[in-house]
Formats: sequence, C-alpha cells, structure tokens
Amino acid sequence: MSQDASLNNMVGPIVRAGEVADAVAEAMEIDNPGKEVIVDDKLAYLRISVEDECILRKETMEEVLGHSFEMRELEINLSSFAGKIENTKDYVRFYFERHL
Amino acid sequence: MAMIERTEWYDLLRATNWTPKYVTEDELFPEEMSGHRGIPIEDWETYDEPYKVTYPEYVEIQREKDAGAYSVKAALARDKFLERADPGWISILQAHYGALALAEYGAIVGEARMARFSKAPGNRNMATFGMMDETRHAQLQLFFPHANCKLDRKWDWAHKALHTNEWAALAGRHFFEDIIHSRDAISMGIMLTFAFETGFTNMQFLGLAADAAEAGDHTFSSLISSIQTDESRHAQQGGPMVKLLVEKGMKADAQRLIDIAFWRSWKLFSVLTGPMMDYYTPMEHRSQSFKEFMQEWIVGQFERSILDMGLDKPWYWDQFLRDLDETHHGMHLGVWYWRPTVWWNPRAGVNPDEREWLEEKYPGWNDTFGKCWDVIIDNLVNDRVEQTLPETLPLVCNMSNIPIVGTPADGWNVKDYPLKYKDRLYHFGSEPDRWCFEQEPERYADHLSFVDRFLAGMMEPMDLSGALKYMSLAPGEIGEDAYGLAWADIYKEMAHKKAG
Repeated sequence: MSQDASLNNMVGPIVRAGEVADAVAEAMEIDNPGKEVIVDDKLAYLRISVEDECILRKETMEEVLGHSFEMRELEINLSSFAGKIENTKDYVRFYFERHL
Repeated sequence: MAMIERTEWYDLLRATNWTPKYVTEDELFPEEMSGHRGIPIEDWETYDEPYKVTYPEYVEIQREKDAGAYSVKAALARDKFLERADPGWISILQAHYGALALAEYGAIVGEARMARFSKAPGNRNMATFGMMDETRHAQLQLFFPHANCKLDRKWDWAHKALHTNEWAALAGRHFFEDIIHSRDAISMGIMLTFAFETGFTNMQFLGLAADAAEAGDHTFSSLISSIQTDESRHAQQGGPMVKLLVEKGMKADAQRLIDIAFWRSWKLFSVLTGPMMDYYTPMEHRSQSFKEFMQEWIVGQFERSILDMGLDKPWYWDQFLRDLDETHHGMHLGVWYWRPTVWWNPRAGVNPDEREWLEEKYPGWNDTFGKCWDVIIDNLVNDRVEQTLPETLPLVCNMSNIPIVGTPADGWNVKDYPLKYKDRLYHFGSEPDRWCFEQEPERYADHLSFVDRFLAGMMEPMDLSGALKYMSLAPGEIGEDAYGLAWADIYKEMAHKKAG
C-alpha cells in the first residue's frame, strides 16, 4: 500500500513558471529566515514549500524583481497553494492551524 | 488623494444582509436553495472569506490573465505545434475540452446559486466573481479548440460532447448534476469549490500543465495553469462553510458531502486524467506518473487541508490509496478496447519501453494488466484486429456511470457491488460507489446508466452501430487507435525474429 503522504506540514504557493515564480522562490528565502524553503521545479510550475507557516512580502518581491509589485498581482501566477492563505496589501501568509 | 486601505472598508462594503420589507427571510432564502440549515443569519455573517477581492482589483487582474493566455496563443499559432504533436497528445486535448469546456458553464450556475442564495454576504460577493471566472473558463476552452475544427471533426466535441449521450459525457453530466446543479448553495459550495476545486481540478489543470510544458505545448500549459489561478481564489469559498458547520455541530454533514464529492471526483479522474498521464502522454514527456501526481496534489495537499479543517479522512481512505495503483489501468484498458465509443483516439501506450516504465511505477503491472495487453498484442501480431474490438458492452456502475473494473490476472479482484432498491437491481464498481447511492437513494434511483438504456431498447439496432448512433458519434468522430495500430509493428518484428 502507498505511504500516506497526507501526514505532512508543508505549506506554500504553487506558482506558474516564469519571472514571478523565480522571484517568489528567492523572496521566500529572504522573508523566512531560519526556515528551509524547498523549491520543486515542475517546468510548468514551481511548488514552493516551507514547514507549518511562511510569509511573502511585497517589499521583498519589489527588491527581487527590481520594480514595483502589488501583492494582488501574485494572483496572476498563483495557481494553487498548500495550507490556508492570508491575503493583505503588504504580504501573503500560508499556514496550517494544526501541526500534525 | 489619500485612499482608505481596503481592509478598513471591505467588511462594511459587503455587509449586504439588508432587512427585507416585502418578503420574509424564508422567502428570500428558501432552505432548498440556500442550505442555511437553520443556522441564524447573524452567524452566516461571520463567514470570513480568506481570499478577499474588490471589483476594480478583480477586473485589473483578470485582464492581465486574459492578455497573457491570448497572447501566448497568438504568438504560438505560427509555430504549428499541433502538426508535429504526438497523436496521443492531440487525443489528450480533445478529451480534455470535450469533458470540461461545457462543464464550466455548469459551474457558472453553481456560483450563481451561492451569489443569490447564500446567507453569507462574503460568500455572495466572492461567488459573483466566481461566476465571471467560470464564464472566462468556458469561453477560453471553447475558443482555443475552435481554431482547430478545420483540422479534424473531433475538435468540435469541445462544444458537442456534453450535449450528447456519449457514455463518458453521460458520466460527466451525472457527476456535475449531482454536485453542482441539484444541491443547495452550501452543499454545492462544499462539494464543488472545496472538494472538487481545491482538490481534483489541480490534477487536470496543473499536473497536466506540467506534462504539457514537457511536451512543448506551451499554449495549453499556459491556458490551463492560468485558469487554475481563478480556481485557487474562488475555491476558497467552501472552507469557511465547513468551518461554520463544524462549529455548529454539523461536522458529520460536512464530512459526508466531502466524502461523496471526493469519491465521485476520484472515479471521474481515474478514467479521464489517469490514461492521459500514464498512457497518452509520450513517455519522454511524462514529468510524473498519475499516481505520483495524485500523491502530490490529492494526498499530500488536498487531504492534508481536510485534516486541517478538523474533519477526518474519508472512511474509504485505505481503499483509495490502494486504488491509486489499480483503477486507472483498468479504465485505460477499457477505453482503448471500446475505442469506437469515445470522441478521441486512445493511445495504447504499451510499447516494450513503456511497459518497463509502467512496471517501474506500478510494480506488478506486467503480471496483471500486462497480461490483458499480451492477449491484445498477440491478436494484433496475428492480424486478428477484430478480436481487439468490442461486440458487447461493459458492465457500468450506477453511480460513477463508468465501467466496473478491477485488477485482472494474477491480482484478480474484479467484483460487482449490487444493491436492490425498490425492486430494481443496481450495480456498483466499489463499496464507496454503493455507499454514495445509499446516502440518498431517491436522488439517484431513476437514473439509467448507458447499459440500462441499451437493455431498455433505447438504442436501435441493438448492436454497436445503434449504440454509436445513440451517442451521436458520426464517422470521423468515432475513436480509433491513435497510431492506426502501427505501435504493434515492433511486436510483429519481435515475433518474426523469434520465429526466424
């Protein structure tokens, strides 16, 4: 029988491949110090995962991209995400309420 | 001019539960449509959608998304990808559009039901955007294949399929009518937006996008992954419904709705997405096996989110995990064998190197499903093509409306799960399929499966030609082997060498 992969605590965005996806992967490293950011490149999309909780900030995205970026623009490339989402003007947060 | 931050006015803006003057609250929100379950309207007002959007933001972002999808299409139109694409890949596209384009219109109706009848203002607001999302998906997925109608009549099935009684279309309709069209706003919200959209659509719209990118079909990859960005927003509507139901002591209700929608989605994807990923996609372009995609999206991501809501795993969870190794191989075998009955050309995908890949991904494949293919290959090697084509119909499940399958040969577990209800004998492909029926027998009891219709004399003449006519499959639309059986040549050479 297959191993039950539902028993995990990984959260984070799944972003359509491209400039924004690469920037998200880089910004996540900066915004989540001390946490391991796992980037799984599936060619069409990047699955970016962090344990339990992670954050992505508008100002970090702007720094990495080198131009202005509104947090809501993330949706253009945010195909999916693991965990729950909190959306604000300045950041997006992915999290679980329960740690397994 | 200084603008007030959205978070400061959003909740007030969408507080639209005004006090009705000309009708009562029950007339405004009848339970059959609303599904409020007697929870007071003040409690529905606590519904807090996690993904908040305003209309100006919505328009701005959606315009960007559409500009992207259409410009990729325009830029790559000169590339003539389809002219050099593997026939198996073209079958994937034709099956995808036929199965899903019109179902998106159905999803508009579902969103509209929440937009009108949900007692939660936040739900109504997000569902209004959801309606527009689904309109976009329907239009995109009719427009993109339409450009190819001049190449092949099968492309027309993007529009035609769900209007016909073709068996796979019938199965799709039964599923969508169950979870979208015939439930109250809240049940529908949980089954469609939570179970189907945060779960299974990721398989078809992101998993398949990965294979599309590998196969060089960047138009399709860009299209379906863009569609999924809308889903990831509006699929968030179901979560707060589940939360409220759990808080109000109605966890069992929410769990039951999810368990039904999950199982029914799984069966549909086992016949649609499973063969596409493990057999139709040329081997060198497969980024993962179907099972690995299911592990990534459904087990690792979706099921985990169910647990986070405080719900339990479905009661059939262990069986589901076992079936990930089996069901879709049986579905593929059946679809290929009954290939005249589908609107695409199934790709067998069982060359020696492909069988090696299948054995590696699904240990034991050669001793089970492989043995059926051995017989088919032997018939093809000895020019007995007619023995690889159907003369009868398969046994069809009265819940999923797709064939009842199991593991053949050394792993034999093929079994019918019958149920007698009001003097009619029903057949099911699994215990969970039968369980779905038992939850609300009257909802399903009158439906006739494809085989029931055949036996009731609804197809004339009572043979394959009558069945094809009933399914509106005209010459040029009737499915054939994707390579015209040329894939079997390698086995003919092998047999020749062995004999020589």
